[in-house]
This record gives sequence, structure tokens and C-alpha cells, in this order.
Amino acid sequence: MPPDVSVRQLVKHYVVPERAGGLRASFRSVLRRKHRLVRAVDGISFEVDRGEVVGFLGPNGAGKTTALKVLSGLLHPTDGQVDVLGYTPWDRRAEYLSRITLIMGQRQQLFWDLPAADSFLVNKAVFGINDAVYKRTVDLLTDLLDLGDLLTKPVRQLSLGERMKVELAAGLLHTPRVLFLDEPTIGLDVTMQQRIREFVTAYNAETGATVLLTSHYMADVKALARRVIVIDQGQLLYDGALAGLVQRYAPHKTITVHLEREADLPDLNGQAELLSVDGLQVTVRAGKDDAPEVTGRLLTQLPIADLSVEDPPLEEVIDQVFRGEGP
Amino acid sequence: MRILRIVSAFLRAAILKETAYRAELVGNLFRSVIGIAVAVGGLAVVFSHTSELSGWRLEQAMVLLGVYYLVQGIVQTALSPSLNEVVSEVRKGTFDYVLLKPVPSLLLSSTRRFVVWHVADVMLGGAIIAIGLIRLEAQITFGVAAVFVGVMVGGVAIVFSIWLALTTLVFWFVRVENITMIFQLFFDTGRYPVEIYPFWLRQLLTFVFPVAFITTVPAQTITGREPLVAIWLAPLIGVLALLAAARFWRIGLSRYTSASS
Repeated sequence: MPPDVSVRQLVKHYVVPERAGGLRASFRSVLRRKHRLVRAVDGISFEVDRGEVVGFLGPNGAGKTTALKVLSGLLHPTDGQVDVLGYTPWDRRAEYLSRITLIMGQRQQLFWDLPAADSFLVNKAVFGINDAVYKRTVDLLTDLLDLGDLLTKPVRQLSLGERMKVELAAGLLHTPRVLFLDEPTIGLDVTMQQRIREFVTAYNAETGATVLLTSHYMADVKALARRVIVIDQGQLLYDGALAGLVQRYAPHKTITVHLEREADLPDLNGQAELLSVDGLQVTVRAGKDDAPEVTGRLLTQLPIADLSVEDPPLEEVIDQVFRGEGP
Repeated sequence: MRILRIVSAFLRAAILKETAYRAELVGNLFRSVIGIAVAVGGLAVVFSHTSELSGWRLEQAMVLLGVYYLVQGIVQTALSPSLNEVVSEVRKGTFDYVLLKPVPSLLLSSTRRFVVWHVADVMLGGAIIAIGLIRLEAQITFGVAAVFVGVMVGGVAIVFSIWLALTTLVFWFVRVENITMIFQLFFDTGRYPVEIYPFWLRQLLTFVFPVAFITTVPAQTITGREPLVAIWLAPLIGVLALLAAARFWRIGLSRYTSASS
């Protein structure tokens, strides 16, 4: 079976006007504009199989959104080949657009003054969904997203989280096979983020849809994606299992000890680095191979109440990837 | 069929939206009626000093004013709301959702919004035309009526095309409200026959911003006045304008999809 999404050497450059801050610079830019070339995506390749959930990670401006926009046909790439479900996205064929969806956490498509149900009917007509399928889909989405009476309240009366839920539903009415989700949990509180994550997991399990999502929140990626693609400055830095990312970019462990009383730290022989001392809590970092020895030495030489050995938090790993550290 | 279903879904949403704000609806209707009453009163004042204005009698000028409100009503009910929406959506970034729909973007962009109460302008315009014609004791044959409708359709097509072309500029400049304001200024000249304007302005209003084709020419055909230009030019220019505007839209769109981030 061919992959649902296939991207080869995708390049997207565009030109933006540039101007320095300040009044004088502003006046000057009215007369003569300076332009700058942005290499939003600079030669990335990957494939996504049917039913996979893949997380796109990267700092702001890494090219995540641009890549999703090319994949959903909104942007013409500067170079490279993209094939999604056998279509070239930017041809924007009606059959293609009926099989995908792009949902942007920061941009709404629903009528503000009307209940979402009325906007849904518009999408029903636009996508030419027949009554039986429409009813089944709305029932499924109502169930998975716990929409309840949210569909009959004017959108402007909904909370941010509730609005995101109905936006998601609106984008899925035509039962797309490939979902592009751009920051679907942005700005939501922790509980609501959790709900959205559970929904994506359940929807993927229920429908077998392929999901590509971008997020700032590591929790999203941890909960959702078995596979992550890390891009920065338009380049692909990593593509593989989440666990592998930690292995590769964080070949060390964080050892935290709680002391019974204050004590001097033993000599760590340069095998470990002291990260922090906070009252009786001491945190050190040691290479994976050295971790057992360092742990042993701490246990024998310090009055220890508690000790834990952990992989560093994903945030830290990612941060390290973006700063270009690591192997 | 599909298109009809889509448009009626949008129309339904528009009606729901406006009936949700009843006070606004009543206020707008009131404003519409007052506006038209003032315009007709203004004509009456002018014609109390003269029986003819560049060859136009009061009743004929009334028909022309009716045509103006009829076209204005159609534009404001069905055309400008959708196109204004394009302008604001491009700025907010939600225009992407239009491009994600499996329907030609131009169709969706020009049929999405309706401001239903402007239908009042259409009806009042029709009423003024009828009153003018009755007072003229004009004999309207089926042929004349058909020609009038054809010329009107051409006029609306011209207005729509200009509006669409100005809207398309949003793909380059993002802020284009001022440009559509300029169009409204030109369009307002259509309340009076182009013959009353000085030569250079008349040329401008005939060949550059063809306001003449939108109000003067239709009013001439139905009031039996000698037409300013060949009548068949109106629908022809309408069709050409539509084709040109649609092409310009595609160019703008390809810029949007290649240059934006």
C-alpha cells in the first residue's frame, strides 16, 4: 500500500518586506521597501502511512505551518514533490479537498453569531454530504467530543475550549481521510488540551484516519504521536520514534537525590555535572554509561532519603535539539 | 443543483443571522426608506426649478433613480457582503478555509454572504421605477421589458466585475477598503444621468468606470429616450468585464498561494 503522504525535497521560499523599528525606518520603508528571502521549508522529505499519527515539532518559525499549508494545497511549493492520497495538493482538485482537512487552532471558520449547527449545514452543502452520512458523522463527533448542547448555542457564547471542539467537528464533517492539525490545542487550558488529545486518539482509532499535527506542547506530542518529525529553520532534524529522539539527543540521565541533612557532595570525577541544589534536593546529570556508577557513589557517600533516575524532560531534549547541541 | 444547495445554505444562514438581531434589522430598514425618500425629494426640488435636466424630465429621472437603487440593492444584498468578507478574511488568515473547500473559490467567495434587508432597496427601487413609468404613461411592450432586463443584467455584471477586481487587489495590498470606497464614490454619480456631467467626466463614467451602463443606459431603454450608446454594448461589456475580472481573480489567487506564508 502506498503511503498516504509522500514528501520529497520540499522547498518553500518566500519574500517578505523587511523594515527596522522606529519612525524614520517606517517612513523610509514606505518609499523603498527592503525584502528578505525566508526559507520556510528547505528541502524536507518524509512519508506517512495510512492511519499513522505523526507529530511535527519545531520552534516558532521552523516551517511547520508552511509545510502543512503546502500539504493541504494552500501554498505552491518553490520546489519538490508532494503526493497525498495520489493527488498533488496544490492542484486543489475537489476530490482531494473532500478527503483532507486542515484545522488551525488560531483561525476559526464558524459563523460567529450563529449556533455551530447552522455552520455545519453550510459545510454539509459545500461538501455535498448526504443526510444519512451527515447524521451518522455528527452523532459520532458529538459522542467523541462530548458536544452535547454546544451545537445549538451561538458560537460567540462558547468558551475558547468549547469553540475549539466545535471547530474540530466542523472540519471533520466530511470524514476526511487525512487530518492536518495546526496547533489544535493552542491557548486551551490543561484539561481541555487533554480532552482534545483524547479525541484525536479516539478519532484515529475509530476511523483509521491519518493525522499530522503540529504543536508547541510536548504533552500533546507525548500523548499522541508514536512518531515525531522535528524541523528547524526549514530542515528536517529528526524523523522517528519519540523514544529514539530522547535516546539520540539526550544520552544522559538526570539523577535527583533528597538528602536527610545537609552534606558536602562527593567528588564526581567529572562523570556527572551538578545541575541544581535546592535546599536538600540535589540534581546532577550523568552520561547514560556513567549513571549507575554515579548513582552508586551518591548512595554510599551521602545521607540519602530518596533518589530517582530519569530521562530528562522532553522539553529539555527538544530545546537541546533546536540549539543544535547533541550528537 | 449542488450550487443551488450551497447558495441556499448560505442564504439560510444569513437570514438566521439577521433575524437574530431584530433591532438592527428594523433600524436598517428605516434608514433605507429615509435614504430613498430624501433622494426622491431632492429630485423633486431640482425639478421644481426646471422642467428638464439635460433633456431628462422628472419622471424619467425618477426611473433612473429607481434603477440606481435597484442595482445598489442587488449589489448590497448579494455581492458586496461576500466580497467584503474576502477582504477581512485575507487579513485574518481565515480565507484559507475558503480555499480548502471543494468548490471553486470564486463561486464561494461571491455567494457566501447576504445582507437580506437590502432587498428593501431593491423593492423600493422597483417601486420608484413603476411610479415613474406610470406617470410617464409609458407603453412597455414585452420587447422593451426584455431589453431592459438584459441591459440591467449587463449593468449588474459590470458592477460586480469592478467590485471583484478591486477586491482581488487584496492579494497584493491586504488593506483595500479605501479602494472600494473610491468605487462607491463613482457609483454614486449614477444617481443622475451622465449627460448632466461635463464632457471629460461623462467619458470617464462611460468608458473607464462605466457607471453610464449601470443606470443611465437601462433608464434610457425603458423610458424611450434616445440611447447614449448602442444598447447591445451593455450586456457585451458585462460579459467581457466578468471574464476579465475572473481572470484577474485567478492571477491574484496564484499570488496568494505562492507568496503568502
